[in-house]
Amino acid sequence: MLVRQFSISTLVFILIFLLQESVVNQLRLPGGGFSLPLLIALTWAALSTPTVGALTGFISGFLMDLSQSSSGVIGHWTLLMILACYAVAFLGFGNDNIRGNPVTNIFLVSIASVITLITFVITNLLLGVPTGNFSRVLITIIGSGIWALLVTPLILPVVTRLHRVLFGNQAHI
Amino acid sequence: MRYGGEGRARLLLIILIVTSLFLITLDLRGVKILDGLRGGTQNILAPFQKAGTTVVTPFRNFFGDVTHLGRTRNQIEKLKEENAKLRTKLLERKNADGELIQLKSVLDLAGRAGYKVLAARVISQGASTSFSQTLTIDAGTTSGVRQNMTVLSGDGLVGVVKESYLNSALVMLATDPDFKVGVRVAGSQQIGILSGRGSKLAELQLLDNQNIVKVGDVLLARGSTHNRPFVPGIPVGVISSVDNSAGSIAQTASVLLYPNFSALGIVSVVISAGKNNPGDALVPAAPLPTPVPTVTIYATPTPSNSTSTK
Repeated sequence: MLVRQFSISTLVFILIFLLQESVVNQLRLPGGGFSLPLLIALTWAALSTPTVGALTGFISGFLMDLSQSSSGVIGHWTLLMILACYAVAFLGFGNDNIRGNPVTNIFLVSIASVITLITFVITNLLLGVPTGNFSRVLITIIGSGIWALLVTPLILPVVTRLHRVLFGNQAHI
Repeated sequence: MRYGGEGRARLLLIILIVTSLFLITLDLRGVKILDGLRGGTQNILAPFQKAGTTVVTPFRNFFGDVTHLGRTRNQIEKLKEENAKLRTKLLERKNADGELIQLKSVLDLAGRAGYKVLAARVISQGASTSFSQTLTIDAGTTSGVRQNMTVLSGDGLVGVVKESYLNSALVMLATDPDFKVGVRVAGSQQIGILSGRGSKLAELQLLDNQNIVKVGDVLLARGSTHNRPFVPGIPVGVISSVDNSAGSIAQTASVLLYPNFSALGIVSVVISAGKNNPGDALVPAAPLPTPVPTVTIYATPTPSNSTSTK
């Protein structure tokens, strides 16, 4: 059961990664655009148990690390996404206010994506990877938060249905 | 959690974190296998990105117009008058024309300098959410593109090839915070170092505080040993403001980079430079002043009625 769920989840995230690299990145959206793997992984984690959340974070983070446009070292996004998805899943697990309420879910994912990006910038600085001037970073983070608020409501129904098909109402390991 | 218990979940979390830390350590130590992973991924992605470019181009033009709404208001007003079919055709035609103009101007520039270049299409732009400024082109090692080759557009220096793969290459843009290039001021030949700042404005640092640069001075690439990563003489940008702080060790200035990085469609990779340094030959011509029409009025006094009746 675990192998099947893990394999299908991996395949789903590979497709999302492909969509991000070949379509979303090319749109050159204002404010830095958005990251589909980041938003979908966080939404996925919000519906899962902490363990499944951590695994989801590992898959999506590793794919984000493989992207040519990733400025950090390999493993950097993986680490951050494991922690972010685990934290989101931990907050949402057993809490019907989050699971059952789409608005709370959208805000949780948006806030988590902004915090993840801020943590990425800070850890990049600690690792000595240049991130650009402060105003640019600020615009990207704020833009990403706004995009998350706009995009998450659109992806939430799809992710919820897909998650239900794969894991049922509750995610188990 | 129900089947494995809390201990098992924690163990899995620890294993995942340790794995990621292991990956970070390997990458920081420069283990080649991880570079190969990224390279392999890019090789797989390149055909999808090419297909994506074809599909996304009309939408990208739309988003570009929205972003530059103020500047393209007149153009939008004209387009509103046309019907949808004509508008689609016009967008497709404009895209092809734009690429042709870019190709012509970049070949003109390379021809004047005597560079041997390879034209390439931009197939993807790096996500800004990763805080790096890169783009991917559809030419790679099979076309002769190698790491540390200069990339230029018709306006000037675009960046440098950071990584090259079989059929694509990753270009670090001049706007990238990690980008640095030695430059000289056209005319006075003063030298300095230009660094990217994440936007179209870069920072120039002269080597001492004795030199004087002024707004409007043109900067050219100084060139590197064996012309890699930079060939000499390529226009880089124009000084937009100068920091004249008396206490600073070296003079600094803001530089407006020449290329329009958000509208790059066709670029050229310099495969080999000419034998002679082009010097200041590639300095872009200053824009011609707009002619002001002069109206001359000749006043001819008309004879009064009383005089004519007499």
